Amino acid sequence: MSNETSADRSIGDVIEANPTTATGPRIGSTEAVFEPPGVIETNEMSVYYGAFRAVADVSLAFGKNQISALIGPSGCGKSTVLRSLNRMNDLIATARTEGEVHYHGQNIYADGVDPVEVRRTIGMVFQKPNPFPKSIFDNIAWGAKINGFKGSKIEMEDLVREALESAALWDEVKDKLNESGYSLSGGQQQRLCIARAIATKPDVILMDEPCSALDPIATLRIEELMLELKEDYSIIIVTHNMQQAARVSDKTAFFNVKLNDAGMRTGRLVEYSPTDQLFTSPREKDTEDYITGRFG
Amino acid sequence: MSIEAPERPKAPELFPGDEEYRRHLGGRRRKAVIFQMFCLAMLSLAVLSLATLLYTIINDSFGLVATVNENDPEEIVAGLGHDPEVTGLQDLSHDQLVGLLEANVSRGVGRRLEREQRFYEDRLVFESDATWAEICSSGGSPTGCTAGPRPHADVLQLVNERVVVPDVIASYPLVSSLLDPAGFEQEVTEEFEAGSFPDHDIEQVSIEWRAWFNPTFLTTPQNSTPEVAGIRTAILGSTWMVAITILFAVPVGLGAAIYLVEYARPTRLNEFIQTNINNLAGVPSIIYGMLGLAIFVRLLEPVTSGAVFTDGVPPSDNGRTVLAAGLTLGLLTLPVVIISAQEALKAVPDSLRHAGLALGATRWQTVRSQILPVALPGILTGTILAVARAVGETAPLIMVGAATFVTTDPTGPFSKFTALPIQIFQWTSRPQPEFHNIAAAASIALLLLLLTLNAVAVIVRNRYSRRAE
Repeated sequence: MSNETSADRSIGDVIEANPTTATGPRIGSTEAVFEPPGVIETNEMSVYYGAFRAVADVSLAFGKNQISALIGPSGCGKSTVLRSLNRMNDLIATARTEGEVHYHGQNIYADGVDPVEVRRTIGMVFQKPNPFPKSIFDNIAWGAKINGFKGSKIEMEDLVREALESAALWDEVKDKLNESGYSLSGGQQQRLCIARAIATKPDVILMDEPCSALDPIATLRIEELMLELKEDYSIIIVTHNMQQAARVSDKTAFFNVKLNDAGMRTGRLVEYSPTDQLFTSPREKDTEDYITGRFG
Repeated sequence: MSIEAPERPKAPELFPGDEEYRRHLGGRRRKAVIFQMFCLAMLSLAVLSLATLLYTIINDSFGLVATVNENDPEEIVAGLGHDPEVTGLQDLSHDQLVGLLEANVSRGVGRRLEREQRFYEDRLVFESDATWAEICSSGGSPTGCTAGPRPHADVLQLVNERVVVPDVIASYPLVSSLLDPAGFEQEVTEEFEAGSFPDHDIEQVSIEWRAWFNPTFLTTPQNSTPEVAGIRTAILGSTWMVAITILFAVPVGLGAAIYLVEYARPTRLNEFIQTNINNLAGVPSIIYGMLGLAIFVRLLEPVTSGAVFTDGVPPSDNGRTVLAAGLTLGLLTLPVVIISAQEALKAVPDSLRHAGLALGATRWQTVRSQILPVALPGILTGTILAVARAVGETAPLIMVGAATFVTTDPTGPFSKFTALPIQIFQWTSRPQPEFHNIAAAASIALLLLLLTLNAVAVIVRNRYSRRAE
């Protein structure tokens, strides 16, 4: 634990309350809750953009077959944390990650780990739907092809159908698989992107504000979809929408912006609790202020 | 007309009152109109300059000419016992035309023509059977040994060129020819009276329309007589050069652009390279010519003359070949290709790159399957425009030593060659006015070539952007 963290009591409390080790059971914050080892665990992770420290000392464990939500005000670094979980931050030339991110006990930032392999296992859905400018079929088939899909044409068709069914999109597009992905509505495009992520058979799906560009009905469909998908996948979602976090997630992490001694704004993890507990009886004053709408 | 807004909240000290506001509005609108008119005037000026350019070229390419024939076709026809009122040269039989050639053309020229293509399937006119059999059995036998006999039209053209020998003594531009044809006749008469044409008699002069830009002009090789000169050698030279330019500049430029946009991190070195590429795009073409002369013609002479590819005699005795010129133009085009490809790649949204990479694709897989197809229309448009620019370049070609007078077609990368702009340049510097006419006609050909390239760019772009949607 760095000096900066110990200078800030509330953060220290959080980390003590949520000790994260690579394996083994964990003790919850107020009551003893048995948790299985997390599918992804971060250990003292900090992300820098150049000299700027965007988030500091995040230690979190995301459970298997759970939906974990990351919430917090703008600029608190929740998207940065999400992107560092499958090394998408590597794409930003100035970004640098310190600390460890364990996937089933393996540090994905260790030397010799290929980010390509990490991303194939830990898929991602983005804020704005970003289908490829190709047919609906090719949008889904491409991910499988580049990852060395060996099946026949019929098996590929089955894979596409299965992915579209999992994303609850099959019935709407089954007659127009050869049409462009852009011909779909915003909500359908986002489900296409989810189907595309599913088709490469990942283990974890990261979602970066997947509903922020969608209308309420499309949002509801995606939320229903997430609840279905958690049977097979572990989902980590960043959201601006606290109701959404409350509706879908099992555990919620609240991030806040703190000024450090030098006056730099750095995002820090404030509280990580089971969702119902975080929204009904938050441990931290900051969390309570945020969820009751006093700021953010 | 003004709009009444009785309930507008009062802010008298910050905003003007209604009356003042309306006065001000009038001023704003006047300024807008003036600016609009200014832009329209500039557009008109641009259109006018282009129209003037086209006018000049077309004006010189068509029009009335005064021709003097060495042998009058009517006399020739009469000499063969026909009525010149009824029969023209074109009505004469194949035998008669060949007979005319035989009577009027020297034996050496006749042999050359026959070796090119013979006159009869079954017999020879200028060559003896024995020599013919000998040259046809040797290794490099001429085309006449295998090709069929010359068609009637071909023989007719030969008779025109070699027996009638038309000589254009004066020409008139298109617009004057249309508006004042009598003026031309008068001008020619005055010239005769002044004794400008001591070799000719005014009775021989025939005044007729002539399109300097015609199919024959495109398909005949260069000649020192403007009436029969064509631009086939120049067109083929330009084509070979462009092919080499594209083969060099496109793969190199595209590769460099992909590296700079997709892979390069913003290090000092990469920024230095980027700045230099931008600067190179603005370097005058004559400098590229000097570079081409030093590197491709001199330093790499064994390569550009083809010496390293053959054991015996090199295809060319020095480096002033199509290959050297094509590579020079490739260098000239390269920065523009890189920059336009970079722009096209940068225009592809990052969300597509992220989508590809988040699926576990490598960078190359993402670029190959997702980025390039989207960027391709832009890349192709930029590349074709850059190449079109190179086709019209003259200065670097003069530096690397494109020949100005070549009558044989280029046959490969190691040929001596000439190019359209060089040909135009050379013809315009001749004193005889007929050369200016064919220079204008060659300009039309060059413009048409560029127009074709641009049309290809548009078609390709539309086709690919439709596919990308």
